[in-house]
Amino acid sequence: MALLTVENVTKRFGGLVAVNRVSFEIRQGEFIGIVGPNGSGKTTLFNVISGVYFPEEGKVTFDDIDITRLPPYKRAPLGIGRTFQIPRPFASATVRENIAVGAMFGSLSGKVSVDESLDIADKTIERVNLQEHREKPAGTLTPVEKKLMEIARALAMKPKLLLMDEAMAGMHPNDIDQMVSFIKRIAQEEKIAIVSMVEHIMRAVVGMAERVIVLHQGSKIVDAPTKEALEDPKVVEVYLGHPPEEK
Amino acid sequence: MKKQIAKYYPIIPVFAAYLVLFLIGRNVTGTWQLVAMLLFYCALGQAFNIFLGMTGYVDFGYVAFMGVGTYGMALSITRLANIEGLGAAVIAIGFLLALLMSTLLSLAVGAVALRLRGAYFAIATIGVNEGFRFLIEGARIWNGSEGLIFTAQLNQILGRETASALMTFWADIMVLIIAALAAFVTLFYMRSKIGYALTALREDEDAAKVMGINVTKFKIIAFVTSACFAGLVGAASWALKTPYVFPPEVFEIHYTIEAIIIVLLGGAGTLLGPVAGGLIYGISKYYLSIILPGFQLLIFAPIIILIIVLFPEGVIGMLKNRVKNSALARFII
Repeated sequence: MALLTVENVTKRFGGLVAVNRVSFEIRQGEFIGIVGPNGSGKTTLFNVISGVYFPEEGKVTFDDIDITRLPPYKRAPLGIGRTFQIPRPFASATVRENIAVGAMFGSLSGKVSVDESLDIADKTIERVNLQEHREKPAGTLTPVEKKLMEIARALAMKPKLLLMDEAMAGMHPNDIDQMVSFIKRIAQEEKIAIVSMVEHIMRAVVGMAERVIVLHQGSKIVDAPTKEALEDPKVVEVYLGHPPEEK
Repeated sequence: MKKQIAKYYPIIPVFAAYLVLFLIGRNVTGTWQLVAMLLFYCALGQAFNIFLGMTGYVDFGYVAFMGVGTYGMALSITRLANIEGLGAAVIAIGFLLALLMSTLLSLAVGAVALRLRGAYFAIATIGVNEGFRFLIEGARIWNGSEGLIFTAQLNQILGRETASALMTFWADIMVLIIAALAAFVTLFYMRSKIGYALTALREDEDAAKVMGINVTKFKIIAFVTSACFAGLVGAASWALKTPYVFPPEVFEIHYTIEAIIIVLLGGAGTLLGPVAGGLIYGISKYYLSIILPGFQLLIFAPIIILIIVLFPEGVIGMLKNRVKNSALARFII
């Protein structure tokens, strides 16, 4: 059974069609990569799933609940977590407090006390290896640490679906490999479905995703197992342009 | 259990400061006036901090809640004075009415204005304050621009001596209690999910929403709480201390500006900040007007600018960072 179903979703900004009749399904625990060049509609699609925008057409279903027009703060308790392309920490709060917010208002919302949330935060901090930064204001972390913190914050929400927006952008290849194996392990342990959005760091996609959805100018052009998708001539064309004419 | 109590340690310096103020006022002759003024500023800061400090939204119409609180007390005294057997209960009813009216006004304003952000919110709230004042004056509600004067009724209810003691002493004690209560509620919020939600939305409202926080709900909680305390401060400090109310005085934007300065001087969003801000602001205002009568504002403005530049996070914000790794950190937030 599908965890998330996106059916014929269209999102326009004035005359611009940012997402054009896109449909796909994600099963529980599945690892999906969404790739596409700049401006292909990836972030808009993420915003439609997390509730930042409502689509003009189409339907989004999560766990058998129609969430098409559900406000974003009601989606998190259902089990949708996300990270941002440019990390958005609650800068003045400590790393521990940031992550505790995830525990408090995520899928455990209403079930955990402040103290229990802080305990969850402590455990999550250990998993991402940020112990030494525990009491630092999140705004003072390095960009990579901020990304880790955001992932920890999203994991503390105990999501069923985790949307990761360019989680590896700007990272050193070694860090990417480390991150990839970390995320993979967590996803398997906690049975979280992950949708990772990537512009061009194929190293990350190939390393993790079981399936890849390719967007181009707002439309889905390919939806296939990773290797197959990345070798698809349409994908090559989107990224590299037409192959030169053979003489 | 001990851990739970330790969470409330930061209330100690706040209460200690209020106790010292009280003792100075009682024991040093001729200081009660000054102490009363300082208590008023601390209470104002403490109340406003719950909204301005914790959400980061600047409400330029804040004084309106003090205004309606003042009217709540005034209406209770003027309308109920002739009912036999109520006696001092009129004052209690006045506080309840102040609470009710500031709650209703803040709910009405909050439901609309809190959808706006930044400068738009600030402008909308100025509009509410001015609009409310002109509504009272123009529609001649509650005696319109002639205001309400109720010294006679206060004397009638309590007797001349008690009424005079109320105006010169007990009203200030009530302000002190309101300030202490506001501080306690601030700390309670900080330690609960409300505080975490407010911090998150202050730092990044859109990220907070995606994290599952119903930002509108939490903004309204902070707004209404803060407005309630403003209403109580108005009822105690303005209605009971000076038993009259005129619209231009109680909707004077000047008090909102003072409240903003106090919160920022002390450290927005800190618990001890409003006390420090209230004391610095009140003491410098008081002594500058004695030393340099007529020129006080000329000196006052640069002093405030200097403090804000030197301590952008406020005096307590700076102190909090300084003591971070020491034993004091448990007490200063």
